[in-house]
Amino acid sequence: MTAAAARPRVDARAKVTGAARYGTDRTPEGLAYAAMAVATVGKGRVVEIDTAAAAAVAGVRLVLTRFEASELKPPVYIMAGGHAVQSLQPLLSDHIAYRGQPIALVVADTPVAATEAANRVCARYEAAPFALELDDEDAEKLRQPEALPVPALADIAVGDAEAVFAGSEVRVDEVYDHPKQAATPMELLGCVVEWRGDTVVVHEGTQNAGALRNGLALQLGIDPADVEVISPYLGGGFGQKNSLQPHLGPVALAARRLGRPVKFVMTRPQTFHQGSFRPASRHRVRLGADGNGRLTAAIYEVDQETSRHDLFPAMYTEAMSRLYGVPNFSGPTRLVRVDTQTPGYMRAPFESPASFAFESAVDELAYAVGRDPVALRLANDTGTDPITGQPFSSRHVAECLRRGAERFGWAARDPAPGSMRADDGSLIGWGVAIGAYPACVAPAIAHVRAGADGRVVVAVDGHEMGQGIRSAITFLVADDLGIAVDRVTVDIGDTRVAPQHLTAGSWGTASALPAVHAALRELRARLGVAETGMLDVGAAVAAAGQPTVEAEAATLGPGQPPEMLDRSRAGKVAFTGPVYPGFTSFSFVAHFVEVRIEATTRRVRVPRVVSVVDCGRVASAVTAASQVRGGVVWGLGAALREASEPERRYGGFFNATMEEYVISVNADIGEIEVDFIDEPDPLLNPVGVKGLGEVALVGVVPAVTNAVFHATGQRLRRVPITIADLL
Amino acid sequence: MRAFAYAAPATVAEAVDALVALGPGAKFLAGGTNLYDLMRLEVETPPAVVDIHRLAGFEAIDTAGATELIFGAGARMSDVADDPVVRAEYPALSESLRLAASQQLRNMATVGGNLLQRTRCGYFRGGSQYPCNKREPGSGCAARGGIDSGHAVLGVSDACIATYPGDWAVALLAFDATIDVAGPHGERSVAVAELHLEPGDTPQREHTLAADELILRIRVPVSRAGAGSTYLKIRPRESYAFALASAAAGLSLDPGGTVSDCRIALGGVATRPWRCTAAEQSLLGGRLTTDAARRAGEIAFADARPGRHNAFKIELGIRTVAEALRIAAERAAR
Repeated sequence: MTAAAARPRVDARAKVTGAARYGTDRTPEGLAYAAMAVATVGKGRVVEIDTAAAAAVAGVRLVLTRFEASELKPPVYIMAGGHAVQSLQPLLSDHIAYRGQPIALVVADTPVAATEAANRVCARYEAAPFALELDDEDAEKLRQPEALPVPALADIAVGDAEAVFAGSEVRVDEVYDHPKQAATPMELLGCVVEWRGDTVVVHEGTQNAGALRNGLALQLGIDPADVEVISPYLGGGFGQKNSLQPHLGPVALAARRLGRPVKFVMTRPQTFHQGSFRPASRHRVRLGADGNGRLTAAIYEVDQETSRHDLFPAMYTEAMSRLYGVPNFSGPTRLVRVDTQTPGYMRAPFESPASFAFESAVDELAYAVGRDPVALRLANDTGTDPITGQPFSSRHVAECLRRGAERFGWAARDPAPGSMRADDGSLIGWGVAIGAYPACVAPAIAHVRAGADGRVVVAVDGHEMGQGIRSAITFLVADDLGIAVDRVTVDIGDTRVAPQHLTAGSWGTASALPAVHAALRELRARLGVAETGMLDVGAAVAAAGQPTVEAEAATLGPGQPPEMLDRSRAGKVAFTGPVYPGFTSFSFVAHFVEVRIEATTRRVRVPRVVSVVDCGRVASAVTAASQVRGGVVWGLGAALREASEPERRYGGFFNATMEEYVISVNADIGEIEVDFIDEPDPLLNPVGVKGLGEVALVGVVPAVTNAVFHATGQRLRRVPITIADLL
Repeated sequence: MRAFAYAAPATVAEAVDALVALGPGAKFLAGGTNLYDLMRLEVETPPAVVDIHRLAGFEAIDTAGATELIFGAGARMSDVADDPVVRAEYPALSESLRLAASQQLRNMATVGGNLLQRTRCGYFRGGSQYPCNKREPGSGCAARGGIDSGHAVLGVSDACIATYPGDWAVALLAFDATIDVAGPHGERSVAVAELHLEPGDTPQREHTLAADELILRIRVPVSRAGAGSTYLKIRPRESYAFALASAAAGLSLDPGGTVSDCRIALGGVATRPWRCTAAEQSLLGGRLTTDAARRAGEIAFADARPGRHNAFKIELGIRTVAEALRIAAERAAR
């Protein structure tokens, strides 16, 4: 690795010393503390609510159980063209849609008093029957194209998949189940809200400061110009913090009523019941192939949960239809309404469960035709998007497979299940899977200011949730101008400096960097210097006769109309891709996994993983590798540990704590070797970057489950695989 | 959490007096790793706590004696786990501590307090939203017929299937440990085997100590089977999790390889630390073959009563016993 490539995360020191300030780290003068009481029935109606005991707790200032629609308008769901994580705004009526829905907001002088008072709120309910799982009687099944009749959500269909499948020489037809999973980032959901005159200042860890600004303004009936949202760091987003949360409006109103700033931090168990989560999904995969395993048809049917009050669009087939050159594909998709908060985007929201199903089926096909799983995948590679017939802007998944196989030592694999054993008697299994994730782009506005002191300040759309976007922007500027990294300051996640479009879908870097790149071109033009090459910034600014020289640029995705910038300014989702005029863009990955399964007690361990990624140009080597390791770690947990368990008798999730919701710990993680193709994408943007954060996770789960099959001969079609499955 | 009174006396006698003086419901507080946790959940709501974690001499460890090892009740789990004699001569004791909780918790938690750690049953800890006979006698048991994959298969009753969560007491039970306790009427000794109760109809009663009795020390008789011992803990991840199944196993082998002493106790599968006397006896006087070890496991689980999702614990428990015996035999033969 070159010295430049090995540059550390620019905010590493600030983060590990505590200097980096997260949303709820703020403690303005006179701060009061909020806590929530929540519903304890699975569905129904609040008949009576007694707040006397809560109000009597020393230090309690407010106990709020109901807002008028005139002061707090219900928000619009982000995927219905609005700003909010769900359409249901608690505290507006007596209706209880799911267990854990807030029924009261308590504000007190201390967090201890607020918590105790919230526990003292007592409600009587009229309970109603509810559904929590795909198969529950009351779960309502909808065909997605009918429920959400927009072109982007039409079922994907090319060729005649049914007929070709029926006539295929080799057929795989299996069903795979993926559970609900919860993202509860280290930084819990929460905010600090402060009114300064008519302006409300919101400190909240969010991936979408623009939606908070505009959505809160609409809810409160105020001008978005009077809302400032400041979110320079998130302690993990993972999609859960992608929009306006139901707590913000009530906390803002409480702060205004009290005339004091108010802090709210959701408890961990409440996060499981209020934060968005990965819904359960069921996948029937039918693959047709010739005797060599060359795919001729794929029919990929998916059922995915959504809430009773919103339709969370299911897009499992988008990436899976592009994994291979399958000429006949169909992807009928259904939504299933259950009684929970609205589920949502959790890192590789569709692609990780989809890859578990699809790449398990491909592994089953490899065994059915007796072909090496890597060779079979290489034989089905394509340079053309089979759905649109367009070329991929770049596609190096074959090289990911070849390089990964080489690094892993795949050639030494004996394909027979149960054939490889370690010295201690453990069964060894080697598994492989590939992944793809759409390379999308959102509008971005970048502003750069160069000073006579040689410093450059960049303000742009983007949110730092740990993925390293601040580092990637800093390195781009430093390298473009030939200045030191510590001369560059990056302001992101702040509505005072840019609209702050949603950072999600792995489009953050691919959206911000082109805008910054364009602003730097403009800056150079204003300074009257060459378009490229090293620059003495201080001297150039001084030569211009100004203390500072500023430049701004707005960029759009390929083919995007300029109106999308207005959508972004309004805090709405405005991304485009992965199908662009003339080309299609995806990021790709190949994962190789070794499992070892103890002979007697059947504990599964994962001593090593090799992951090779095609994300276009690597914009920040250290943080990129860290992203991939994080994705792999999550995938190992998803394969072997993680599941939210619905309590079908009482409602809600039983394992709503970090003790009961089992994620991997350090001791579970072995060696993770990460490599990048690092070939710039020639078409998507001038910087050559595609997305990385989510593709890193795609394919990890099936690589593990395929390895378990190789070790044991057991084909397990439900994750997580636990010790109970292997005895 | 509710407000509570707090006292921090300097001696054992003062501590017992203070507890009585503070009235019904007052609790001793040692490391705070379990009681504070339950107070935050409002599962425990003591009006007062008596902090004993700085009592003079309360944390002494004496492993030099010829007849027994003595651990002050206030000794930290991490200190006992790392004691060189315990590590070398009683690996099951050391491992049972080292495999528990996290290093941070082991640095705080005491070996006396750990014995009375309360169950991790999610319905018990979940508070008033769920019926629980242990938390609120007579209210019912939400775990029966519910999500019971972590629950017990041995020693269960219609009233309660909550698993005893600890590891240390399981290892102590295998080695016939005794505790000394102090109360308003003086001191007495209780075998660890007599300390914990099966739930029966009164799951709220978890042990045989009176509310005003304080554990002073733990005494473990010297045993040859200590050196040939292990604590094998199977859990859903490699660290920081409670056992799905665990086994403390200790063996003495005569020079010909015949089993002359055998200790087996189980954790993670029973409502209390679970000694397997019949399984032990099945191995005495024979060689420890793979089949014999498996059979001992089967005997240990002969009376198991599974629920909806925890039947796997029977097969897992049998294999855990067999594997623990294999490891113990390897060590015993050294």
